[in-house]
Parts: sequence; C-alpha cells; structure tokens
Amino acid sequence: MRKKFATITNSAVPLVFIGLLLVLWEYLVRVMAIQEWLLPGPLRILETLWGNLPLLLKHAQSTLLECLAGFVIAILISFILSFFMEEIPLLKRAFYPLLVASQTVPIISVAPLFIIWFGYGMLPKVIVVVLVCFFPIALSLLGGLAAVDRDYLELFRSMKASRLATFRMVKLPLALPSFFSGLKISASYSVMGAVIGEWLGAKQGLGTYMTLAQRSFQVDRVFAAILVVTLCSTALFTLVSLLERLIIPWNRKTEWRELE
Amino acid sequence: MPEIVVKGVQITLAGLLTLREINLVAADRSVTGILGPSGCGKSTLFNIISGLMKPDKGSVFIGGGDVMGKTGLVSYMHQKDLLLPSLNVLDNVSIPLVLRGMPRKAARTEAARHLQTFGLQGFESYYPWQLSGGMKQRAAMLRTYLFSSDTWLLDEPFASLDAITKRKMHTWLTGVLEQFRPTVLFITHDVDEALYLCDKVYVLSECPTVVKLEMSIPFSRPRQNRTILDQAYGAVRDAVMDALSI
Repeated sequence: MRKKFATITNSAVPLVFIGLLLVLWEYLVRVMAIQEWLLPGPLRILETLWGNLPLLLKHAQSTLLECLAGFVIAILISFILSFFMEEIPLLKRAFYPLLVASQTVPIISVAPLFIIWFGYGMLPKVIVVVLVCFFPIALSLLGGLAAVDRDYLELFRSMKASRLATFRMVKLPLALPSFFSGLKISASYSVMGAVIGEWLGAKQGLGTYMTLAQRSFQVDRVFAAILVVTLCSTALFTLVSLLERLIIPWNRKTEWRELE
Repeated sequence: MPEIVVKGVQITLAGLLTLREINLVAADRSVTGILGPSGCGKSTLFNIISGLMKPDKGSVFIGGGDVMGKTGLVSYMHQKDLLLPSLNVLDNVSIPLVLRGMPRKAARTEAARHLQTFGLQGFESYYPWQLSGGMKQRAAMLRTYLFSSDTWLLDEPFASLDAITKRKMHTWLTGVLEQFRPTVLFITHDVDEALYLCDKVYVLSECPTVVKLEMSIPFSRPRQNRTILDQAYGAVRDAVMDALSI
C-alpha cells in the first residue's frame, strides 16, 4: 500500500511542477502583454497545435519514418562493426580512433553536403540520423563487450566452446544492458537528427514545417512543432525501454529478492 | 581411470617464479585437497591442469595421457558461480551439453534429470539473481558435473558462502561425491573443510611455490559431523596447520 502511494507521489511531483511552470508562463505572458509573434502562451500554443493537427501529423509521419530507418540502420552497422572489432583486436585498434574522430565533425556542417550529393529526398536525412545515432550505440555496445568478466570467458574456454558460441552465449547477452543504455540515448537524439536534416532543405517533415513557420514569424507554430518533436522523442525512448524489458527481462535488478 | 598426475610443473608469471616445482597425484576417484597461502599460485596450477595455460616446464597427465594445453578434458569450477544472468537455471546447467552439440531440448531433458540430486528441483525456471548463494553454487556444481562426470577441479567453491550454508554444502557434497565418485582436486583455505572432504591433502608453500606437505587423511569416507571428535583429528590438523605456519 505504502509503496503504491509512493509511486503515485513520485510521478505526481514532476507533473505538478511542470503544471506550475506552465501556469507561470501563461500568467507572465498575459500580465506583461507580450506580443504573440514574440512569445505565445501555452494555451495559444495548444490551440495552434489542435488547429494544425492533421498537417503536423503528416509532417511528423515522414520525420518519424526517417528516424526509424536511420535508427535501424545505425543499430545494424553498430552490431556488425562491434562484432568484428571485438573479435579482431587489430581492427579495434585501427577503427576506434576513427570512430571517436568521426564524432568531432559537426553534423550541421556536413549535412548540407548530403543534400548536394543526394538531393532533397529522404536519404540525406536518414544519413544524418544514422550519423547521430551510430556513435552512442556502437560505443555502448563495444563498452559492454569489453566489460564482460574474463572469468566467464575462461570458463567457456575450459569447456572448449567455439568463439562464435562464446560470443553468442556470453559476450552478447552480457553486453546487452550497456547496449540498451546507448540505444536510449540514440532514440532521443534521432528525432533531433532528422529535424536538423530537414531544416537544411526538404519537401516535408517537422523541420520543414518549423523553418516555414519561423520565416513568417508564426512562433506559436514553431512551439507546436517543438512539442510534437518532444512527443516523438519521448515515444521512441519509451519504445526502446519497452523493448529492453522484453528482450532482457533478467536485467531488472530492482526486483531483487532472495530465496531460502 | 582419471588419475591426475602433475609432474615437475614450473611457471614464471610476469617475471616472478610462481610455481617452482610442483609434483602431485590425485588418485582415481579420490578427493585431493590443495591448501596454501593466498597468491601461491593455486589457481595458476588449476589453469595449467585444465589446459588454459602452458607451464614452462613439467607435464600433466590425466588417466595416463599427456594433456598439456588441452582444454575440455576436466571440469573447472570457479569460486564465483559464473552463471549467465541471461539464462534460467535449467538453461545455465545445460550449457556444457549444448556446447557439445546436443540439441537444446534434449540437453534440457538430460539436465533436468539431475536437478533433484543438486537440490534445484522446482527452481529450473528461476534466474540466477533470484537464487541464494548456496543454490547458485549447487547450480554451478551441476554444470560442472554435466561437463565431466569424473574429473573435477574445484577452486574454492564455497569461499563466498556464510559458515552455516557452507556446512550444509559440505554435508550435501559428501553425498554427491559418494554417489558419483569423481576424481576431485579441491583448492581451499579452510583446513577443516579440507579434512572433512579430502582423502589426501597437499600444502603448498609461499611463492616460489613447492609442495611443503603431502598427507593422507586417515578417516574413512563418508565423513560425519563427528569425525572432528576422532582421536587422530587433532594431530592431523596440527600437522597441516604447522605446514601452513599458522
């Protein structure tokens, strides 16, 4: 009983706090009579969101599609690369610095190149998403693989297990919790990646919608789009968390209990 | 058949002469204890016997055959249970069978036949984090047994357990040893544990390690809780303690 009460209070505290902030925002906008094209109040934003919902959903659809495509491709590349880098030490030494260096290149500066090379379609956006998502996923997977307790590996070696069997039965499962923490970071970044891609030139998507609204000083529309982007990121994050519970149910350390 | 013989084994690790000259024999179907101070290379010795490491000098024979650098001939049980957190008890203990190429389903059926003996019946679908320390070690022991039924290397299998659980495990293990009669090499820091379980005890010196004492334990197997009251017990225990210089 008490535990249940505690969970309710725990989720209520941030909700109440956010609610208070919104009320304060609305109040200040009204009292100070701030122009709508400068900063609209939350109620006005909700109104715009409701009014533009069909249009926003259409844009969100293509943004989400780019996200998911990029996300899945990033996962696949990470898995393949991590497997070879883990099993072939020379490859790891060769590739690792390159991997880190690739992250120091600002995405925003290379994204326009993709548009020059691949046009205004979906592909350049998907590439940006892949670039944004790939690094956290690959790094967490590699970290997880490297952190596997050596004693497990010795045990499997003493049982004459093949390298593939050891990878499949020991390394991969033990690296999955770390992999999922990287996946969660990527999930929340992926929408941002797609939006950046769309900003620089696209036919549709939330980024396009945002740039258009911005250019015509429809700040309420910009905020409505931001709200949709946030919701998409949260939805992807939640999806990954659900997948995590489904794929590694054994990793729920919080429900720890002892028998006997 | 599976007599373990270690002959003149020497190894230098990281520039330090770890094992100087180790000679020991674990007779067929007997339990042989190995006692020694921390860091004297007991685990290194096991790594050599199990084929994970190659010594600089000397050789290891199991059942008369030279097994240097050959893995997969003996079962090696570590102080840690090393159960995979991703698998339930039944899948964990059937790993050796699956690795040997048995289909997963057949491996499960085969492993399930032994759950009773290892005190795990009813827990087959539990994950390691749901088990107590004693149960985890029994599961690790079953996995050890399913890999090799006749030659076991046990590296301080009970070191992480509390005194009461440890005692219970001793009584239980005595029964298991009587039932399967494997050849066992047993590393421990606990003199009473060694005297309770072993037919023979080797005491190793500090680094560079040699065998300091080889002693047969005169009490008949299976031992009982009252073995400790045997008239000879005190003298045997003193001799081992002296060799350990405690």
